Order: sequence, then structure tokens, then C-alpha cells
Amino acid sequence: MHNFLSLLKNEHIKLYSRFSTWTMYIILGSIILISGLIVFFFSDVGIEEYGADWKTELQAENEEYREIASEDEFMEGAYDADIAKNEFYIQNDMKPASYDAWQLTLENAGLSMLITLFTIIVSAGIVASEFRWGTIKLLLIRPISRSKILLSKYVTVLLFAISMLVFLFIFNLLVGAVFFGMNGVNPSIVQATATGFEQVSIFSEIIMEYGLSMVNLIIMTTFAFMISTLFKNSGMAIGLAIFLMFAGNTLVGVLSQYEWSKFILFANTNLRQYTGNGTPLMEGMTLGFSVTVLIIYYTAFLLISWLSFTKRDIAGS
Amino acid sequence: MNPAMKLVNVRKNIGKKEIIKDISFEIFPGEVFGFLGPNGAGKTTTIRMMVGLISITSGDIHINGMSVKHDFKEAIRHVGAIVENPEMYPFMSGWKNLKHYARMIPGITDDRIREVIDLVGLEKAIHEKVGKYSLGMRQRIGVAQALLHRPSVLILDEPTNGLDPAGIREIRQYIRRLAEEENVAVIVSSHMLAEIELMCDRIGIIKNGEMITVQEVEGSSPKDQDLKVYIEASPKEDAIQVIQSAFETSVMEEDKFIIIHTTKDLIPKINMELVHQGIQVFEIHSKQSSLEDKFFEVIGENTIA
Ligand SMILES: Nc1ncnc2c1ncn2[C@@H]1O[C@H](COP(=O)(O)OP(=O)(O)OP(=O)(O)O)[C@@H](O)[C@H]1O
Ligand SMILES: [Mg+2]
Repeated sequence: MHNFLSLLKNEHIKLYSRFSTWTMYIILGSIILISGLIVFFFSDVGIEEYGADWKTELQAENEEYREIASEDEFMEGAYDADIAKNEFYIQNDMKPASYDAWQLTLENAGLSMLITLFTIIVSAGIVASEFRWGTIKLLLIRPISRSKILLSKYVTVLLFAISMLVFLFIFNLLVGAVFFGMNGVNPSIVQATATGFEQVSIFSEIIMEYGLSMVNLIIMTTFAFMISTLFKNSGMAIGLAIFLMFAGNTLVGVLSQYEWSKFILFANTNLRQYTGNGTPLMEGMTLGFSVTVLIIYYTAFLLISWLSFTKRDIAGS
Repeated sequence: MNPAMKLVNVRKNIGKKEIIKDISFEIFPGEVFGFLGPNGAGKTTTIRMMVGLISITSGDIHINGMSVKHDFKEAIRHVGAIVENPEMYPFMSGWKNLKHYARMIPGITDDRIREVIDLVGLEKAIHEKVGKYSLGMRQRIGVAQALLHRPSVLILDEPTNGLDPAGIREIRQYIRRLAEEENVAVIVSSHMLAEIELMCDRIGIIKNGEMITVQEVEGSSPKDQDLKVYIEASPKEDAIQVIQSAFETSVMEEDKFIIIHTTKDLIPKINMELVHQGIQVFEIHSKQSSLEDKFFEVIGENTIA
């Protein structure tokens, strides 16, 4: 155990000794800051505070929506969801919460895509770089098994992803709090579900958003990890993982007429299809089915990485 | 004495190619073993097997009695090595690089790291990024990395590569010191005899994946026993006559020189005899090089296999 922690320490030092790692944090931080600025200066929806007679204000808002919808046929139905949401507030006698740090955090959950991208880059480099630098030789002639070294690298990748997610979360709250303030520790918001509207805790909503994006992140980074250990080439691993991440859904769409397409990895990475108002991609697919498929792919990726790393001859590089 | 390292019928095939063909030899504690062969002979390949970077197709290698094949961690524990160029992390300082390797083996203190840095003479540059190091400095930090954990077996693949003459001398000196004072078994590979014969006790010559011969390097006294003596004298024919009749040795000719194999103490006697017989002696010089002859005999003119 002692030497595993030392290995983790080594991997972290190597990762964070490079400027490129820090630029990932800088890019993510800048985007959060800019998104806060954009909402603050340019967006007028939902930021204004509602006064004491918020019910009349909401009704007026709905009138406005209906008017726009009836005037312009292109806008017909465009505001239906907003109108329904406002009516839900009125019926349940709930004053809508003003836009705050939590809302910004929830809206920016989509940035976890960017984290996936960054983690893929780190994952693709962590083994391949040792080959590129030639340091793999000096790394593997220590009294430590190759499995342990590989594991320390994989765990480092996961810890990087987690630290980026934590950074995303905290920096969002921080920027949000500065621009919009905070409505308590755990305010609730109204979310659309399959059966209408529901009042939910924003915190659990955020956790779910972040959690669901972790699935895709872990699978795709592990895939990149496998490709890079297999071919000792980080560029190839990054390219392939990102290409598949974007082309995956199209691929599933094209092949969806075939029964077996539900076994394709990308038909299962989006677990949102089983939540709230989502619908499963194909009939007969359940959460249990997708989780099983994901676990099988995941195990295969790890197994292939492990076999190729522990059995390979380190020659001519 | 138990060997520090023992190779038993080691073979390596890569694809269909036989790279190493049945090599066996032993290296003992306190001994410096030279691993000599032309480019492509299989030195690095053998060393890679010793340190477990590549698998051993058949046969086995034992280090301090432990099999590299079956007990890798125990076998490698007391080995320090450089395999080809000792690449380091270019974006980290020399110190951070050494710390990195130090963390992988328990019990290496900062004091020990400083001691090793001192030994290889890198104190001044140790906090600079390795990416800025010269070739010789990289070689030194490579040696430092190999010495951190006080190995009992030290494997150095062409350690003098890129070093200036002073650097080569230093390396030679501390390799000798490690062997003599700390009883370390050292394996040094090279493709240049002149470079390693001064520091080795024994030299194994490898060619085309086969160990051709293992020879003791004669120490200073036995060294004088087998000399190749070049004599320039006039008239040459008379000189040959004199030498043959007085010393009963076989005589060869090369250009203007008469060449005989003899011992050091005979040289003045030969000289005296020649002068005594009224022959003009212009030059006498000797070469001690049975090993060199052997090397070139083995290597041939066309060195790349
Ligand atoms: N990965 C490989 N695949 C195929 N052949 C290889 C591989 N690695 C080495 N060889 C071959 O093995 C032979 C021995 O190579 P090796 O690197 O061991 O030589 P060497 O004695 O260290 O030479 P040098 O003095 O140039 O360092 C060469 O003929 C080389 O072509
Ligand atoms: Mg070599």
C-alpha cells in the first residue's frame, strides 16, 4: 500500500508538472466565468426577482407569452412549457426562486463534456507518453509489478476527472454566488418530468446531472486508456475516442433497425434515457440492460489494457 | 562464491528471428564484466532480458539466486541499470527525477540522493530541467538513478556514450571503486574494446547473438607476459637472423617492422644483442593486445552483422 501511494504521488507530480494540465483548468474556469458574465449581462429570462404579488406577475408573463404565440405562427407552442411551468407555480402557491448560483451550476453541468474531453487527453497520454519519452524503461525496472504501475496510472486518470468535476462544481457556485447570490444551501426547483411538473431539490438534480455524465466520461476515458496502452500512441487514442464519442450516436441511429444494435456501446452510454422525461432508445432496453452492457465493455477495456501492458516486450523504443 | 548474476542457456526470438542464441555466463560480486560486441550483436537485447523489459524465450537469468522469470520483484530489487540512453522526464529537474525513482524503492533518503549526485558530479545542475541537460549530463543522471538504492548488481549499457574523456575517466574510476570497495558486480556493455578493457576484470565478446569467448583481462604483471614487439632495424635480414638464432622465437614481418611475441624483460636483451651484432636499431615499441587481436579476429572487418 505504501508503495502504491508513492506511485500515485509520482503520477500526480508528473501530471501537474506540465503546463498543459493547468491550461485545462484555466480553459474550464474561463468558460464558467464567461457563462456567468453572459447570463448576468445579456439574459433577461428568469433573472428578475419576483415581488410580493408574484402571482399577478406570472400571469402577466403568461399573457405576454400567449400573445407572442398567437401573433407569430412560428412561435406557436414555443412557450407552452414556460406557461405550464408558471401555472404550476401559481397552482401550488410556490414563489419561483430567482436565478442563483445553484441554477448556474445546474445549467453548466453540460461542461462535463469538456471534462470528458480533457480526461480523454490525459488518459491517452499517461501511458503513451512514457513510451514517447523513453522513460518506460527506467519505470519498469523497479521492484514493483507492472500491474501496480498501470493501476496507479489509471487511478490517477480517474482522480483527475474527479478533481476537474469538483473544480467545475465549486467554481460554478463561486462565480454564480458573486453574480447572482445564493438561495440557501439546498433550494428546490421545478423540473419537468414524464408526468408533468415536480418540485425537486436542486442539489440532487445537480448530482444526477454530474453523475450521469460520469458514465460517459469513465467509459470513454477507459477506452482511450486501452487504445494508448495498446498502440503506445496518444494522438491515435485521443482521435479515436473523440471521434467515437461524437459519431457513436449517429452510428447507433443508422443501425437502429437491427435488433443487435442495442448491444453497441453508444446505445447505452446515455442513461438519461431512463430518467425523468427520457424514453429508451429501443424497445426492451432497461436500465439494468444498459448497466450490464456498460460493465461488460468496461471490463473488456480494462482487461485488454492490462494484458497488453503486462505482457508486452519493451523493446526498440 | 555465488554468482551475482547467472545466465543459463538464454535465448530470445523476436518473430522468427533468433536474436540471442543460447548465451550462458556468470558474473561475480566485486567483478567488472565487459560485454563487448559490434553494433547489433545483441548486447542491449541481453540486458533488456536481465532487467525484465523483454521476456526470455527460453533459459533463465538468476540475480542473487532469484529468477528474473519467476521472481521478478525480488530479482530486480538489488539491480541498478541503464538501458540504452537513460531518458528522464524532460520537464522536471534532475532532483525531481531522482526523487521520482527514489519513491519507487523504500528506504532512499534525501541524503542518499545528495550523496549520489555528488558522486556523479551534478550538484550544479541538479535543479535545472533535464530537458536542458547535455548528453553527458544525462548520462550522469542516468548513472545516479541506477545507484540510488545501493544495488549489488549494476548494469550499464554503453555508459560512456556521449561522455568527454574526463567523464569517461570518472565513470571508469567509480565503477572500479564500486566493485572494489562495495563489492558490486558491474556489467558494462560497449562496442569499443579500448574503452572498457581498462576497467574490466573479464570481457565477454558477443557477435550475432552468440557469446564467442570470455577472457580475463590480464593485470599489469601478466600483461607483460604476452607482448607484440615491433622492431625497426637495419639491415632487416640480419636482424631477423640474430633474433631467430639468439631467442628461438618465430618472427613476422610487417612493412619495415620485425614483429615478435615475447615478454617485457627480453626487450633490452634483444636490443643489446642487436647492437652487439652491429645492427642499427631505430625503433622498438610494443603492444599488449592479445584481447584486441581476439576482438578483431572475432569481429572481422565488416563489423555490422
Ligand atoms: N524489436 C525488435 N524486433 C526485431 N529485431 C530486433 C528488435 N530489437 C532488436 N532487434 C535486432 O536484434 C539485434 C541485436 O540488437 P541489440 O540492440 O541487442 O544490439 P546491440 O548489441 O545492443 O547493438 P548496439 O551496439 O548498436 O547498441 C539487431 O540485429 C536488431 O536488429
Ligand atoms: Mg545497444
